[in-house]
Amino acid sequence: MMKCEEFELLGLDMDRADAPPEEAAAAALHAAGCPRCTALLESWRELKQDLRILHESSRFLSAPARVEMRLKQELRTRREARVPQRATRVAAWALAAAAVRAAAVGWAHWQNGTPTKTGTSEIAAVAQGNSDRMEAPFLAADYDTGDFTPLPVSMPTASADQAIVEARVQRGALMQFGLTVAPEQAADWVDVDFLVGEDGQPLAVRLHQDSQSEAVTQ
Amino acid sequence: MRIIDENEPALLKRAVRGDEQAFVVLYQKHQAPLYRYALRMTGSPWAAEEVVQEVFLLLIREPEKFQPDRGELGAFLFGVTRNRVMKHLERLPREDSLDEMNANGAAWREPEDPLTPMMIAEKSERIEQVREAVLDLPAEFREAVVLCELEEMSYEEAARACGCPVGTIRSRLHRGRALLLAKLELLRDAPRRASAGAR
Repeated sequence: MMKCEEFELLGLDMDRADAPPEEAAAAALHAAGCPRCTALLESWRELKQDLRILHESSRFLSAPARVEMRLKQELRTRREARVPQRATRVAAWALAAAAVRAAAVGWAHWQNGTPTKTGTSEIAAVAQGNSDRMEAPFLAADYDTGDFTPLPVSMPTASADQAIVEARVQRGALMQFGLTVAPEQAADWVDVDFLVGEDGQPLAVRLHQDSQSEAVTQ
Repeated sequence: MRIIDENEPALLKRAVRGDEQAFVVLYQKHQAPLYRYALRMTGSPWAAEEVVQEVFLLLIREPEKFQPDRGELGAFLFGVTRNRVMKHLERLPREDSLDEMNANGAAWREPEDPLTPMMIAEKSERIEQVREAVLDLPAEFREAVVLCELEEMSYEEAARACGCPVGTIRSRLHRGRALLLAKLELLRDAPRRASAGAR
């Protein structure tokens, strides 16, 4: 049999769905024979009714629309801030990759001995339509129009995250990218721009204007 | 698969990458209960709005704080909301002026009821007294009343939300009810001995 003290602790839960059934039954039994606890239960039920009305009156409340707008703005700001960061990262990686490649090729040439210099640029030779090298890529770099010559080793990409990396390399380094270079020109230094993809791999190349004119005059 | 059918961790990943649609799905799913909890605990629409905004900003800025293997996103968000609310209550014991209007500009409404104007006025006053009395409870008792009586959570759910045993929730709820009954009895000058449990 439940006592008044126990009823005060547990009895008011008797209407709840998650109240233990035996506890609820004991509370109901006690309340039936105790006017004091019956009065307490009635008071609670009245209050519970008011709480339910309070719940109903505010059940559809939600945060004002301006909170969502502010949060969306924050998302946009973060997205916009992230794009330049990514481009910088791509450029840094591309520069590093180009530098390593150039250094490796330079070292390889140095190991093999410096080739002799002649006045003919291989690139110019290709441009003049050297028939026995038609399979070699045609480096039609035009600095004024900004045209790049796609590298044969590169895969075409539609990504917008491309960067231009300026580098000073020995002509021989261009062989690494699938371009044909005359051995006698391999040690010459030229200024080139690499168009570098998101993965840091060069996609295309163009000669600087000075290098082109030099190539033509040589 | 529709975006709404995606699981929450996947949606969160997309949202953090800047996918607004994914973010809105998550926001719309969780914001209302968090806002209501914050509003009922603080009594201030402005504070509740600020809390909800801070919670979702945290989700955007530090998404790694949510670890799916440790629980659901809703539970994580509720935990963050609860911490913010408690900090707010520590800073400001209780704001004196309780705004009658919610932040959307809509007043607290009662359900449609075929009562006379006099009865409606009396009822409104009673509900307002209850709301005031709930806001006057100490925070831990108030939280138990808000979760178990207003949000109609089970003891289990409330205990999980508060990170405490079921027994603690029941004990807090018992104390909260007793204080509420005592306060309302005083306000209404009722002859009942509802205060018995408040000893």
